[in-house]
Amino acid sequence: MIDNLIEVKGVTKSFGSYLAVDNLSMVVRRGEIVVLLGQTGAGKSTVLNLIMGTTSPNSGSVRVAGFDPHDSFKALKGRLSVSFQTDRLLPWRTAVENAELGLLILGVSKPDARRRAKEWLARVRLDGADDKYVHELSGGMRQRVSLARALAIDPEIVFLDESFSQLDHVTSGTLRRDFYQIARELGKTCVLITHRIDDALEMADRAIVLSQPAKIALEVHIDDAARADPARIAELHAQIAAAMGGEESGS
Amino acid sequence: MSVADNMAVSVNSNPPPRAAAPADQLVKPLAAVVRPQRNPENRRDLFATAVVVIVMLIAMEITSRYVPDYIMPSPVTVWAAARELFFADPYHVGVTLIRLTAAVAVAMSLGVLIGLAMGTVRWIRPYLKAIILIDTGIPALSWMLIAVFWFKNPETRIFFILLVILLPFYALNVYEGVRALPKDLVDMIESFRPSRWQVLRYLILPHIVPYIFLTTKSVIGYAIRMVIFAELVASAVGIGARMNLAQSTFRIDQVLAWTFFLVILNLVLQAAVNAVEKVTLRWRAEAVVR
Ligand SMILES: Nc1ncnc2c1ncn2[C@@H]1O[C@H](COP(=O)(O)OP(=O)(O)OP(=O)(O)O)[C@@H](O)[C@H]1O
Ligand SMILES: [Mg+2]
Repeated sequence: MIDNLIEVKGVTKSFGSYLAVDNLSMVVRRGEIVVLLGQTGAGKSTVLNLIMGTTSPNSGSVRVAGFDPHDSFKALKGRLSVSFQTDRLLPWRTAVENAELGLLILGVSKPDARRRAKEWLARVRLDGADDKYVHELSGGMRQRVSLARALAIDPEIVFLDESFSQLDHVTSGTLRRDFYQIARELGKTCVLITHRIDDALEMADRAIVLSQPAKIALEVHIDDAARADPARIAELHAQIAAAMGGEESGS
Repeated sequence: MSVADNMAVSVNSNPPPRAAAPADQLVKPLAAVVRPQRNPENRRDLFATAVVVIVMLIAMEITSRYVPDYIMPSPVTVWAAARELFFADPYHVGVTLIRLTAAVAVAMSLGVLIGLAMGTVRWIRPYLKAIILIDTGIPALSWMLIAVFWFKNPETRIFFILLVILLPFYALNVYEGVRALPKDLVDMIESFRPSRWQVLRYLILPHIVPYIFLTTKSVIGYAIRMVIFAELVASAVGIGARMNLAQSTFRIDQVLAWTFFLVILNLVLQAAVNAVEKVTLRWRAEAVVR
């Protein structure tokens, strides 16, 4: 079994003459929750796309579970999923039909997919809205559907691209805690992409701060002992904020 | 009477306006906020239509008293002619309707296929685009004359004429639909690593359904005019052929009666398409723009 589920080695990516990722190396281990921080435009989403294999690096290598995610695109079918920054639900499908989409693509039979999607909707606490269309759901409910869709395929690695940042503070807070609990319970490997330092301090095993263009500015380990110590948390907060270069956005 | 003379009778071959891309109708973030309402405009529109019809009927009646019958018959005469035609000749109405439905259905299916190919297969795109561009530049009249040269069978002629005229509308609008696919949704579905067929089935096909409806609604009036026109040129049966006959026998009351019927037919078909659309696209939020 490969222990480093994600391995990024010396990756450079530019768009035309614009350098977005600069010789980035990082590793994500099985079962780890890693938070990727950085200011807007730092290249966080680009790094996600590289790991997802939807773009390929100019140089360097990316390995996910031993595969090149771009060249062996189909080999990773069912092993990764993403909950995007915006909910990205299909408007012509109901909540449960959206939640089952990944399962159907993986070839799970219709009744099975329906059953599992319903279970996941209950698990992310979307109650009694299974058969509503997207326009009938609130923003928070949509995010829950999107989360259920990502988790329902039972992937090895889950990505969250700033998923909850568009919601109000209370909603995003409960949603984030729900997600955190589920991820921990299932022992999933998670990469969370955000510009909120609080997210990192609350749920991550490790925080990686990217500077612009994306390369590692700071990497810190966080554990429950640190979380229990307000002074330590304040110190980490200050360190991360400094590495991100100026004030934190979105919090 | 020659074919060319008949053509000159009704040169209403201007195509319907190209449908605007309904992409913003699909992705309407505001839609969830705006509460669906019964549209009070419907009733006002109906009232206005009734007023216009009544005024026209009165004008007809008054004119008919001052001019000879072969210029403007009284609405009563036209009504009598309409009843006579309708009960004596339902066959012709049926023939026209079948021709219309068959041609629209085939144009829709082929147009969707061509539009999808244009939208998804990169190397085919410029070729199909060129063909469609050239096709839209060919006047309906040319197609009618060409059809008469090429085909002996009147059904083939009419079907061909309607098909080449309607096809580009479907193809172009479906192509626009595919192009308007939100990149966010494409990336989302790609993240599950689907097959091409799955992308088509779960994303592209449902996404273009509103475009197909939009096209159908915008071509239906045009299609009715064209089928009549084609029947006048190429067939001895159907409403167009009967109108030709009515004209050559100086029965303006019948011409007007058929016209009246065609206007109603257009309204009924539009309403039918609207009803089907409403059920099919029930997932769409109804927004009221003030
Ligand atoms: N497809 C692309 N073509 C051109 N430039 C791109 C493309 N994708 C990203 N970029 C550029 O790369 C840089 C990094 O973008 P990226 O989306 O990765 O930032 P980010 O860290 O996710 O920002 P945010 O926090 O705002 O989401 C930006 O300057 C962006 O303009
Ligand atoms: Mg981003």
